[in-house]
Amino acid sequence: MHSHVDAGPAPAGAAGPRRLDRLGLAMRASHLLFGFLALTCLIFAALAWRTGDVFYLRLATEALIFAGLALSVDILLGYTGLLSLGQALYFGLGAYASAVTLKAGYPVSGALGAAFGLSLAASLVGGLIVSRVRGVYFALITFGLAQVAAKAVYNTRELGASDGLIGVPVMPIHLGVATVSSDSPVGFFLFTLAFMAVLYGAVAYLLDTPFGRVLIALKANERRVPYLGYRPERARLAAYVLAAIVAALSGALYPMLRGFVSPELLSFTTSGNAVITVVTGGAGTLVGAFYGSLILTALRSVVGSWTSHHLIVIGLLFMAVVVLFPKGLAGFARSWVEDRFARTGSL
Amino acid sequence: MIDYLQFVLAPQMITGLSLGVAVVLVALGLTIIFGLLDVINMSHGEFYAVGAYLALSLGAAGISFWLLLVLVPLLMIPIGFAVERGLIQRVFNAPDRHTTTLLLTFGLGLVIEEVLAVIYGPNTQRPPTPIRGAVEVFGVMLPNYRLFLIGFGVAVMGLVALVVYRTRLGAMVRAAAYDRDMAASLGVPVALVFAGAFAFGLALAGLAGVLLAPIYSVFPTMGRDFILLAFTVVIVGGMGSIAGAVVAGLLLTQVQAVSSLFISPVWSDPIVFGIMVVMLMVRPQGLFGRLGRA
Amino acid sequence: MTRITTTTFAMLASVALAPLALAQTGPIKIGVDTPLSGTYAPIGQQVRWGLELAAKEVNAKGGIAGRPVQLIFEDEEANPSVAVQKADKLFQVDKVDFLTGTVNSGSTLAVGQIAERTNKLMATTVSFADSITADKCSPNVFRVNARAEQQSSALAAWLMKTNPDPKVYLLGPDYEMGRSTVAAFQAGVKSRGGTILGEVFAPLDSKDYSQYFGQIRAARPQVLYTSTAGNDTVRLLTQMQDFGLLTNLLVVGASGTVTSQNIGAIGSAANGFATGVGYSPEIPTAENKTFVDAFRAAYKADPDLYGADSYGLIYFYKAAVEKAGSTETDKVRTAMRDLQWDTPQGRKTMRAGDHQAVQTMYVVRVDNGKFAINAEVAGDQAIGPDLCTRF
Repeated sequence: MHSHVDAGPAPAGAAGPRRLDRLGLAMRASHLLFGFLALTCLIFAALAWRTGDVFYLRLATEALIFAGLALSVDILLGYTGLLSLGQALYFGLGAYASAVTLKAGYPVSGALGAAFGLSLAASLVGGLIVSRVRGVYFALITFGLAQVAAKAVYNTRELGASDGLIGVPVMPIHLGVATVSSDSPVGFFLFTLAFMAVLYGAVAYLLDTPFGRVLIALKANERRVPYLGYRPERARLAAYVLAAIVAALSGALYPMLRGFVSPELLSFTTSGNAVITVVTGGAGTLVGAFYGSLILTALRSVVGSWTSHHLIVIGLLFMAVVVLFPKGLAGFARSWVEDRFARTGSL
Repeated sequence: MIDYLQFVLAPQMITGLSLGVAVVLVALGLTIIFGLLDVINMSHGEFYAVGAYLALSLGAAGISFWLLLVLVPLLMIPIGFAVERGLIQRVFNAPDRHTTTLLLTFGLGLVIEEVLAVIYGPNTQRPPTPIRGAVEVFGVMLPNYRLFLIGFGVAVMGLVALVVYRTRLGAMVRAAAYDRDMAASLGVPVALVFAGAFAFGLALAGLAGVLLAPIYSVFPTMGRDFILLAFTVVIVGGMGSIAGAVVAGLLLTQVQAVSSLFISPVWSDPIVFGIMVVMLMVRPQGLFGRLGRA
Repeated sequence: MTRITTTTFAMLASVALAPLALAQTGPIKIGVDTPLSGTYAPIGQQVRWGLELAAKEVNAKGGIAGRPVQLIFEDEEANPSVAVQKADKLFQVDKVDFLTGTVNSGSTLAVGQIAERTNKLMATTVSFADSITADKCSPNVFRVNARAEQQSSALAAWLMKTNPDPKVYLLGPDYEMGRSTVAAFQAGVKSRGGTILGEVFAPLDSKDYSQYFGQIRAARPQVLYTSTAGNDTVRLLTQMQDFGLLTNLLVVGASGTVTSQNIGAIGSAANGFATGVGYSPEIPTAENKTFVDAFRAAYKADPDLYGADSYGLIYFYKAAVEKAGSTETDKVRTAMRDLQWDTPQGRKTMRAGDHQAVQTMYVVRVDNGKFAINAEVAGDQAIGPDLCTRF
């Protein structure tokens, strides 16, 4: 499908150490930040497990799940410069696919498979339209598509209409070495963390290949890319499909955690929150989606019990980031790590 | 058949026209801001709401509706200058202006919506209808205020087009939109023109707020109502084209009005959205292309 | 005789001993998971006021079984995802004994499932979707307010009594809930011999309803039924007034169509509107007058059905806990079933089969911007069959 990926000059994983350019360094810095985040999560899990906590573990699990949605937005925004205002469409698609599959008695692997297959199919169709437009047009088309989809779910009795679907059963998740239950707070948190690490790893790997470099080149200068032998529409379509799958797989975990899905998962609020998360965390860093989601979830929880007008605080913070820290929080941290790498010359 | 035309189709088209005028009033400011500044104002709907709330407060304080038609747009101008200078210009030269300004104004919209909810509470409010009564035209009842809205709206559209296309001021604005540096070297005060155009766009949004509040009522999230339709109108008409916004606005609302007689009205928004998508595939520049370029 | 004496004695003993046993475990905590921000915030506010007033009264008289009541509020933003997250917090961190407050049906259903999985009890005082106490009923969820079916059958019964053979047109918001409300009313009218001239469904959050006026006018109805809510009703009724459609037309609707939240914006266009509802501040009983006076004194506002039903909830829980002699889930659930308790709108009964409160219904009409009671419909005539099969 992506001939340009194979035709690339230096396939990733080629034998022998390769010298890292600036982009490679940045990716390394992101990995380091992700490792730090994962470590923090593990310490948190151990502490929460010792104290018998349930709420904070589930809240953190939810933050990680929504980080997956933010990661999906970042693939588009950070790597192709395309702002999606409707990424919740695929998150919701994955959540509903998972809920329906689990309710029908299929295992977790079936739910993930359904989310993957449906999002692949839907994003290939949607991508044919969306990959031909850019900028504000892309933002508005994704926004409109999500609105139409949300409306359709809202009106479909089989999907529970406005009430959503409840009664998603608690499922065992078989991982070869161990089995965790989706209602075990610490077990499911660790599963989600591992799942997100795999998603992050896969996305980072793909974006570090020549395919990713083409995307970055497209973002920088679209008109020159065709001269290099790449077709911009194809690369954009591939990015769109990848983002959709990441969103849907993340969404598929939601009903396992909370036992229900509702049309609000597809709403503009959900899409908008993901955008706020990515921009605050740092667009184009991949890891920023995770930092952003954990920080904003914590902030919402604190500010939310302090005032019911927490949206003003979040909105102002978001505006401040756009104006003052366009790289976001993780972008800021990453530059610092990158400089360290560059100076030591190792890695 | 005559009955159908008279009692169903004709009123449908006339009420569609009043909605069309309303949408065009919101879309005009949006398209001017885009055409000139190359900035996507996602908070445009919220400024429409600000206009409506100003009308509500000032109207409750005893100021007449007719005065508000002038006063509220005037009040929006300093707000527009402040937003353009204080926020938009700070990110104007960012690598991706469209996305950055879109994000910034998206955040601004969220904040405005919440601030309105804090000040006025979440309940719906509504100013009294300024012109009461209705007239019967060929057996169809039409409220006087709707007729006034259509007439006044068309006059505003004509005036805006006249200023932009036929005056010296408009020529400066179009020159600045076409080539910023060239216009600057010819002595056009570009910075002032940009801030002024943004303020003018907000003034139009505020005017729409005053005019539409009695029909569509006033509540903090009211800005979201029009924004998708207004953006659709702007895109179909051609981003930045005033004539395009007018034509597309009136056309698309007629499509909605007439189509809802045959298919469930739930689909009237998706239909218009579909038209926008097809338009982008076939003719991405829209019906009329961009300001300064058509 | 001996048996009765023994039971009485046992009951007396438990009542005497219970406060001692329970007082040591501190206050009884009730979690309130309700919208404090967003569109539904005004409803959340009524819920809060009603609960706080009742809690204050109960605490002044010694609390529930000797323990004070403590209310813990969380903002659910009328979003099921947030509601579930906050319910989790209330159950796990605050360790509440009981939960209430959810407003939209999606939130109530999702939180009800959390209650079931945590083995706790909850009650809604606002949601009126029939499904909550019918096909989606839960052994852990109770509803103390009237559901949609009670409201529409009361309204249909009243309509047929006052207008023999009315010609009715139906206008609903086009989504599942709106359609089912319209269908319920339609069935009520048809089964009583009325005529339905036609129906139209407008999208939720429609801006302009005038595009439907041609069809309505052409059908020449005497009665228009609508189940729109909030802003939608404001637009519908004021636009109808502008188009001169309200003359010689009786407009009736769901209880959420015209409420204290939007009646101000609707203005004179609301006059004459009739609906079936479980509460009105005008109920002419001494109990209600005491309640309304206390509510006005405390909050400078009238209670509406949400405030009154939330107020009544505290007394429902109090009666159940004191009857059970415990706050344990199983015991309280058993006590709640078939429980009768007093509320501002009279005595309510919790039907054991589906956890739906049975209560007297009222038909109220707007007269000069205020609701006035027009008729009363006995609880058993409005309640409808028990459709819950899970317990």
